[in-house]
Amino acid sequence: MSPLAPGSESSAALIAAIAAGDRDAFGRFYDLTAPMAFGLIRRVLRDPEAAAEVLQEVFWQVWQDAARYDPTRGSPEAWLVTRAKTRAIDRLRSVRRRDRTFVGPVDESVARRREEPAENPAVVADDRSLVQSALAQLPEPQRRVIELAFFEGLTQSEIATRLGEPLGTVKTRARLGLERLRGVLGAERLSAT
Amino acid sequence: MNRDEIGELAAAYALGGLEGEELARFEALLEAGDADALRALRECGDTLVGLAAAAPEPPPAGVKAALLERIAAAPATRPSAPTRPLPRRRPRALWPVVLSGAMAAGLAAVVVGWSVSSTYEKRLDALARDAEQLRAELRAQQAVIAILRDPATQVVALAGLPPAPAARARMMWHAQAGGVFVATGLPAPPEGKAYQLWAIAGTNAPVSAGVFTVDASGTGSLAVRPLPGVSAVNAFAVTLEPVGGLPAPSGDMYLLGKS
Repeated sequence: MSPLAPGSESSAALIAAIAAGDRDAFGRFYDLTAPMAFGLIRRVLRDPEAAAEVLQEVFWQVWQDAARYDPTRGSPEAWLVTRAKTRAIDRLRSVRRRDRTFVGPVDESVARRREEPAENPAVVADDRSLVQSALAQLPEPQRRVIELAFFEGLTQSEIATRLGEPLGTVKTRARLGLERLRGVLGAERLSAT
Repeated sequence: MNRDEIGELAAAYALGGLEGEELARFEALLEAGDADALRALRECGDTLVGLAAAAPEPPPAGVKAALLERIAAAPATRPSAPTRPLPRRRPRALWPVVLSGAMAAGLAAVVVGWSVSSTYEKRLDALARDAEQLRAELRAQQAVIAILRDPATQVVALAGLPPAPAARARMMWHAQAGGVFVATGLPAPPEGKAYQLWAIAGTNAPVSAGVFTVDASGTGSLAVRPLPGVSAVNAFAVTLEPVGGLPAPSGDMYLLGKS
């Protein structure tokens, strides 16, 4: 098992220690989970400096909010992934808005190149073969829905509008896509050990 | 609520795309400690962790050190920190006090500035969403008004049949623009069923005009698109069918109205 096994006792114990103000526990939790969080943030934000700032904000929140972690809702890693994703998307949106609002003439292509994930992230991902292979095993429509939601931060109705599909279809695809992904990732974890 | 529905809410919640009434509904389930909802959410969370963990990237040097420094600098501001005895004050020279006061003021200005700008960012975001939603509602309302103002629009009254004698409905129908259908007094459809509206033209087979359900008060409505190949409708009818509807009516008829 990898040290990142979701819900492993050690990460839950670390969060509890962090909530009690244990700085060493915070350092260990960082070492354990920062590569995963940073990989995700980089997937959303291409700019490495912005990604580093977001990483720092995310772990600052971990330090401040550890006492509010609720184990019934998921593993500490899942809690962290949600925060990393949300913060990265917030940053992506604010950069786009600033580019649009304050920089004068809109140069969408520059903004896109700098901050947006490419149209199909799974194709441009370089050393992200596992994400690629896991996502690549989903049917294209399910993969699009998960990418738009998770890496671009669109709500379900925004996805429905973007894809020109009924909302109900988007909901079903998100559920089926995650179920399928769960199977794929489970199989990979087994074959990796 | 069935498993698939909970699964859909959990997936959307974990992906961050749940909004409005559904978000409130799912959060209420979580708050209530609903075991199915919590399990579905944990499963989705673990899947997304798996996805993120599959593509790790070494964090840039310096972030960890910066965090530890930040923590060391502001231990007292941690809301979740257990209360510690305050350090005993020692008499100090005035100069560092003035200096630290100035630094604190500077820091406070930075923090306030940052928090104000982030508050505005959030507010702008919310306003943009509200505006988009209002525009969509406006478009829908304008379409309804356009249908109502057109003299070519027919108004068809539908009356309840034996399964629901008290039910009533109105169809505002325009062959080119589509129509608006409103029904009241219908019983809630049983699990797996929904109401389906049919347009009947001459002796042709009924054409589906859409599927709808009703709220707790028995009221339901449906925006109907123009039906290809159907110009002069003689009657509208509502039957009870499996959720999603069927190509031809099969269930009991609840409402019927001739134009």
